[in-house]
Amino acid sequence: MDATLSSRPKQRTSTADILYYVLRIAVLLAMALMFFPDLSPAKVTALINKSVSLFSAGLSYNALIADSGRPLRLGWVQAGSFQILHFGSMAAVLGIVFAGACGCMSLGNLRLKRLGNVFGIAGGALIIAGMGMTYIAYHQFAVIVEKADRIAAVLPNAIYLFALLGMLVLLASVGVQLILPRAAKTDEYKMAARYRLMLMFLPIAVLAFVFAYLPLYGWRYAFYDYRPGGELSADTYAGFKYFTMLVQNEATRNDMIRVLRNTLAMSGLGIAVSWLPLVIAILMAEIRSKFFLRTVQTIITIPNFISWVLVYAVALAMFNTDGFVNSFLGLLGIQSDANYLMGNEHIWLKMLAWGMWKGVGWSSIIYVAAISGIDVSLYEAATVDGAGRFQKMRYITLPSLMPTYMVLLLLSVAAILSNGMDQYYVFQNAQNTSTIEVLDLYVYNIGIGEGTSIPLSTIVGMFKTLISLLLLFIANRTSKLVRGESIV
Amino acid sequence: MRGQKNELNHAGYRRTAGDKTFDTLNTIFFALFMLLCLFPFYYLFINTISDNDLVARGAINFWPEGLTLSNYIALKNVSDLGTAFLVTAGRTILGTISMVLVSAFAGYLVTKKEMAHRQFFYRMLVITMYFNAGLIPTYLNIRMLGLTDTFWVYIIPALVMPFNIILVKTYIESIPPDLEESALIDGAGYFKIFTSIICPLSMPILATIAIFGAVGHWNSFVDSLIYNQTAIQLHTLQHVLYTYLNKTSNLAALMNSGADANAAAAAAESALNNKVIKYTISMVTILPILMVYPFMTRYFQKGIMLGAVKG
Repeated sequence: MDATLSSRPKQRTSTADILYYVLRIAVLLAMALMFFPDLSPAKVTALINKSVSLFSAGLSYNALIADSGRPLRLGWVQAGSFQILHFGSMAAVLGIVFAGACGCMSLGNLRLKRLGNVFGIAGGALIIAGMGMTYIAYHQFAVIVEKADRIAAVLPNAIYLFALLGMLVLLASVGVQLILPRAAKTDEYKMAARYRLMLMFLPIAVLAFVFAYLPLYGWRYAFYDYRPGGELSADTYAGFKYFTMLVQNEATRNDMIRVLRNTLAMSGLGIAVSWLPLVIAILMAEIRSKFFLRTVQTIITIPNFISWVLVYAVALAMFNTDGFVNSFLGLLGIQSDANYLMGNEHIWLKMLAWGMWKGVGWSSIIYVAAISGIDVSLYEAATVDGAGRFQKMRYITLPSLMPTYMVLLLLSVAAILSNGMDQYYVFQNAQNTSTIEVLDLYVYNIGIGEGTSIPLSTIVGMFKTLISLLLLFIANRTSKLVRGESIV
Repeated sequence: MRGQKNELNHAGYRRTAGDKTFDTLNTIFFALFMLLCLFPFYYLFINTISDNDLVARGAINFWPEGLTLSNYIALKNVSDLGTAFLVTAGRTILGTISMVLVSAFAGYLVTKKEMAHRQFFYRMLVITMYFNAGLIPTYLNIRMLGLTDTFWVYIIPALVMPFNIILVKTYIESIPPDLEESALIDGAGYFKIFTSIICPLSMPILATIAIFGAVGHWNSFVDSLIYNQTAIQLHTLQHVLYTYLNKTSNLAALMNSGADANAAAAAAESALNNKVIKYTISMVTILPILMVYPFMTRYFQKGIMLGAVKG
């Protein structure tokens, strides 16, 4: 790898490596844990919002005192205590960042490692200092006698955890610094290409972790009697209460059945007409004028690129009481002031129609792309054999599109529970909720919209995710069996 | 290329009467299809530029009458529309640029076989395409990170888009490797190679994901609805439009409340009504998409081809 690395005595290297592993694990742990509000060492009093993690406490003073406006105004507590807490958390966060830098530099050559260790020492010291300041803040809260029940100062166990992690970082980097020989001043800072690439990729991996994997931690809300602003603790632990509620509580069960019926009906209708874009694409391929073809392709895909809100705006303009349809009927001498969007009738079909208006043109472009990939010699040979136009459509174009159709069909079967909420949310109103509410919208409505049950909507979301994964797996297997190749 | 193939496809036989009938019916079908797609927009448009009395009576159906731009001018009194426009334009520009940069860089990195733990990281990305924790856990996660009621909730969670990264990766893999190798031998670093060789060569795919990303940002309103419910000044254009579409109170009065007396009088004179205001706000929201749309189509087609190859 590197001349200076390999020339070091073997025994020393391995001790340093062990210490480095300890350091890296400690850093990774600290980095992940600083985002968890439950493990925030800064939560030394009940006056601090439960959703504030060490990271938010260090970054935003406003988040730290969000719930403490009144106590601060009334002088129960001093702003100074919160400031100490804030700066302590900031020091800890900064320390974790430094320690992270040390972890990164530990992958470099000797010179880089030694520089990194300086960061590690500073980082470990900062984390410990931050915890020290947090303890001082706790002490200031704890000695207040008046309103002590409201302030409820506690020493979070997380303080010890982070202090321990800081200690590990400090000791490991000091240890490595002592073990490793000095690097020649003439050495350059260097790192092997494979680690450089990995470190460049690391921020992206972290983002993916934070926004795609970390939410899974929220599944724990399914097991607690949680209300917005409440807390997850042994007191609110509900076990499988909400799981049994899903099947045993009659109202909830009826809701689930209704919502599932809506979901399956609308997805099913969508699948039932999924051949339509294919036919349109075949017809499109028969257009002779290149100019006309391009115009058609451009125009029929427009609705796909406007939002559902705008589709709703269009729907209002056409079908509202004072919309186009009623005016037009008026011109024909038929008086009508019907509001076609309000009622509960034929909602599934209406939603299918809007879905098609928005999406059919775009879906057919996919098949047009597939048609342009068909080998021209097939058509030429067919022409020589005397095949007519319709025969070529029937025996060449259609069969060539079937693989694409099957893939898309399988994917839509796998996504049968995921209609998305946009369309149904915008078209939802007091009269049609019972038939328009699909699973995604239901989850929103009970979880955020009316805020009635976060645990329940978490559970429904969990089941949706798991069943969708299962369906995708089955679809993939089917595809492998039938076509000999996987779709995902 | 398509056009050529079409010609080949159609050449070589004489058009029979049946063929002619089919062609005519086909043309009529697509003409009606296009009408179906365009007419609603046309209808909205003519109603916003026509005399408001006629619009109120429902008399504007097929062509504009009594042309006026007063409705568009009156929109300047709707202050939250201006804010929403800035927020949406801001997220579209910033969000698209940052997403494209991240996708390009990530796509490039995952093509590098020498990267340590490459398979692990790549799989970790790809898996996220096929599951999500669900709406509520995602919301609680975003709230835990302190991103609710901030502008950044529009940008940061949308930075890493696995599908776009795969598209870029596939594209970069099709670039001849000798270009990069010779640069490596010349002593260029990975970052230098990325900026001076990979980026310029990948422009077509980057343009494609940029356009899809921009349309997505412009159209999104669910994130505004969920994460910034209470932060009204951060609502996106679509969200504000939705709010207006559902308002049944007198919008004309609402619009004029903050404006000066002259504007109020002018608005009253032009007989602004709820319907027209809703139509005009809708039109303002659609127009940017419709205006750039013709220039985007060729990238859309390219994008769908790549998507089809992957799918």
